Amino acid sequence: ADKLRWKVPNAFPSHLPALGDNVQMVADMLKTASDGQIQFKIFEPGNLVPPLELSDAVRDKTIDAGYTWLGYDAGKIPSAPLFSARPFGMEPWEYTAWWYNGGGKALAEDVYGKRNIHPILCGITGPETAGWFRKEIKTMDDLKGLKIRFAGLGGQVMQKAGASVTLLPGSEIFQALEKGAIDATEFAMPAVDQKLGFDKVAKYNYFPGWHQTYTAFHLIINKQVWDALQPSSRALFDTACTAGVMRNLSKGEAIQGDVIRGFEAKGVKTEKVPTKMLHALKKLTDEVMAEQSAKDADFKRVYDSQEAFSKSYQTWKGLAYLPRDFNDEKQ
Amino acid sequence: MSDREFEAAEGRAISHDHPDDLHFLIHHAELPETAFSRVVDGALARLGRSISWAWIALMAVIVINVVMKNLFGEGRVEFEEIQWHIYAALFMLGLSVTLATDDHVRVDLFYGGFTLRTKAWIDLVGIVCLLLPFVAMLMWYGVPFVADSFATAERSSSPAGLPYRWIIKSALVAGIGLLGVAACARLTRIVALLFLGRVPVAKKTEA
Amino acid sequence: MALEFYEILCIGMFAAFIVLLFSGFPVAWVLGGVALVTVTVAAYIFPERLADGFYSVAFSDLAAVTSRIWTIMQNWVLVALPMFVFMGLMLDRSGIAAELMENFVKVLGRAPGGLAVTVAAIGLLLAASTGIIGASVVLLALLGMPIMLRTGYSPSFAAGTVSAVGTLGILIPPSIMLVLMADRTPGVDAGGLFMGALIPGAMLGVIYIGYMMAVGLFSPKHAPLPPDARRMRLSDLGGVFKAVLPPAALILAVLGSIFAGFATPTEAAGVGACGATLLALMHKKLDRAVLREVCEQTTKTTAFIFAIFVGATAFSFVFQALGGEEFIHHGLKSLPFSHDGILISVLFLVFVLGFFLDWIEITLIVLPLVAPVIAGLDVGPAEVGPRMIWFVVLVAVCLQTSFLTPPVGFALFYLKGVAPKEVTVAHIYKGVIPFILLQLGGLVLVYVFPALATWLPKVAYGS
Ligand code: NA
Ligand code: NA
Repeated sequence: ADKLRWKVPNAFPSHLPALGDNVQMVADMLKTASDGQIQFKIFEPGNLVPPLELSDAVRDKTIDAGYTWLGYDAGKIPSAPLFSARPFGMEPWEYTAWWYNGGGKALAEDVYGKRNIHPILCGITGPETAGWFRKEIKTMDDLKGLKIRFAGLGGQVMQKAGASVTLLPGSEIFQALEKGAIDATEFAMPAVDQKLGFDKVAKYNYFPGWHQTYTAFHLIINKQVWDALQPSSRALFDTACTAGVMRNLSKGEAIQGDVIRGFEAKGVKTEKVPTKMLHALKKLTDEVMAEQSAKDADFKRVYDSQEAFSKSYQTWKGLAYLPRDFNDEKQ
Repeated sequence: MSDREFEAAEGRAISHDHPDDLHFLIHHAELPETAFSRVVDGALARLGRSISWAWIALMAVIVINVVMKNLFGEGRVEFEEIQWHIYAALFMLGLSVTLATDDHVRVDLFYGGFTLRTKAWIDLVGIVCLLLPFVAMLMWYGVPFVADSFATAERSSSPAGLPYRWIIKSALVAGIGLLGVAACARLTRIVALLFLGRVPVAKKTEA
Repeated sequence: MALEFYEILCIGMFAAFIVLLFSGFPVAWVLGGVALVTVTVAAYIFPERLADGFYSVAFSDLAAVTSRIWTIMQNWVLVALPMFVFMGLMLDRSGIAAELMENFVKVLGRAPGGLAVTVAAIGLLLAASTGIIGASVVLLALLGMPIMLRTGYSPSFAAGTVSAVGTLGILIPPSIMLVLMADRTPGVDAGGLFMGALIPGAMLGVIYIGYMMAVGLFSPKHAPLPPDARRMRLSDLGGVFKAVLPPAALILAVLGSIFAGFATPTEAAGVGACGATLLALMHKKLDRAVLREVCEQTTKTTAFIFAIFVGATAFSFVFQALGGEEFIHHGLKSLPFSHDGILISVLFLVFVLGFFLDWIEITLIVLPLVAPVIAGLDVGPAEVGPRMIWFVVLVAVCLQTSFLTPPVGFALFYLKGVAPKEVTVAHIYKGVIPFILLQLGGLVLVYVFPALATWLPKVAYGS
């Protein structure tokens, strides 16, 4: 393998479980497997390159590689959120099936190749929570005028539903939620939300994470740098990242239950978004997706590919698995 | 002796009348103006005056958003983005306006006691070796930065946010570019004093 | 231990910065210029010395500086800064601030150090409404410096008062610093830390006020009584009330809008600026000239503060790219490790780093490194949760001090930019020394009595 000493910025704080810790594990695997030839120095978010600017820095070869959430590129690459997280999207293993076997990887390499970037799927987790609310939500009417912090495509769905959407930065959410400057916020998975202490200021934690059914992370590498690597190095990157996907998913699935029970012990009410509301939100999501598809050809291409894959996968998914509530009914 | 008494004593010791004496040169003299600096500094002063009214617009946007959010449940992402657009444009453009009036913060521990010539030498070296290269570097990377934003029709990464990112990104390049121009204007004044034998002028009294 | 080449570069970069800082060339451009010169040295003069490790740099790396500046431009939280500056200027230029302060003096006129205490009281209110150091230092300087100097306060005492009180905002919630610190410390969340820092922050405020009164009492030449000071008569009360009520209502409206949940701290700054303008209008002090001057001065003040941000982001990028973080890690690893000794060494290190670095760097570099070590130590509270809150509060107090410690104290720079011209950096450096000592006293108190930091979180959130 090549001898590589790369500065690799991480878009997430390294200590956040199943979010920022994955890239260090991948880096350790690469170092060991390559006999110390391939080494990363992981940089905390903002220390070297700001998280939102990672892709541009890789494109310009300011840095060779970075670990990020492609959705941050939405401003320049409208289809990017589809590769990283979207409302009413696939389930995580369904996404990996689409990525490795359903044409997703080729699409991403094509879209990002135009930006001189080679993306490698390197981590994935399940849904986020649907958010932390100060009051109960029962119908779509409860969303009207609700002051909510909500990012991404889901934010646009919320805005369509009549909510008063804000993009408050992470550092201001706790304070705003505590004082009631916002009524609700989505953020991340329970194990990460815990860090921000939302359970102390919002009584209702809602599920399922309709707005973000999977969260995928990618190692992005400058395309020229990638093309110039020896095949052995490329194989090592692919191997380590594939392992990263599996390990990230496993860890994310393993740790959330305890955290949620911990919230409940502190008096948080774990609630489900009513199915009727989910259908209404899905309808609004379809509108948003149609609007985005009309605006950007790549968006349409990727979205159609995902929808087609999901449709065909549904035949298997619907038949083969036990119903989600199978265990509940037995109790 | 308190600081105040000390200064009073110092003030008494040095006469205020002679333009040539040390005290005048330290506290009341300014770099001579040049034709170039008059044009540039005048234009920057006008720029400063006109853009500054936008603070009122910023205030209005914030208050309107607060009222809409609380009375009508209608806070908008666009309003939030307009807020930082105004603030960002103003502080970037303000960099040059502030340089033209020499209001950037200096540690004057020693500098405060230097004569005008020494100060001019410090600024000469500083502008040539530190400021102008810094400006050049930011322009070198800033122009493609804006061009790419334009070419990709970049918009807010939030779908509910504002389009035309290149406009606000241009404020970065415009601000830094003007900073370079303002630095050059000051440079001509320094050169006029140090090498062309022009005499210092009396500081305009501050409002 | 021989230094690696990248370590020599890091040290050299700092040395050059400090030397050039004292040349008197503007701070912002010294920061930016030194960053550029350092990269040039590393990339063109000694490229082979760095080629083998992680810390080689190329000129093209500097493209990241553009994106870092862009990130500052996008920082919505910082919108509060110009708005608080606007509010302060409006109160100042319309004469409302002077009227307010003069009437406070009527009430507190005979109290030793009364003016400084007034500034401290306003500062504490501000601290509770924002966590942005630049904004509160500028606002306090505009409100308090002119009248303190006119009354005959020594410039250094006045400067010390404003900068020390102005930095309390970073310790008293809401505070971006505490949010970031919580984010980087396992087992600590923002809510708990907000509660933990509240009592120590308020305590420091009280210590400052005590010191100010002591100065007024024992060293009146630094803080003299106003010449017309007399016992307040009942007949004064009406006038005082009339003058104090509207501005006090304004400040309470700003605070109240945050606490009532109408506005975020960012928005409250805009509401405050609007309120100050309306106040000036009601007092018939608002005309085109005042408005224009306030707006123009807001542009300049904001610009000189952000110029420092721009220079500093370039500087810290190069410092990071050259392995500055690793360099500090090495320093930490060589600490003598023994329970109380470790903790004291860590705090001492944070304090010393605070002379040169700003809180963001220190938080990002030091906290994740030492927090796990502290969690396993036999010091302070027995339970891990409270122990970590206590520890982070101790670090936070040290970090607040870093704004005040020369040579690189950002509060000092902001004050220098906005204070009357006769106030020099020497006055400011001299003025903050007693306050830094008081800070250290406060730090010792929190160290000896951990309950100061742990009691409130337990009561408020039961954790
Ligand atoms: Na605060
Ligand atoms: Na300092």
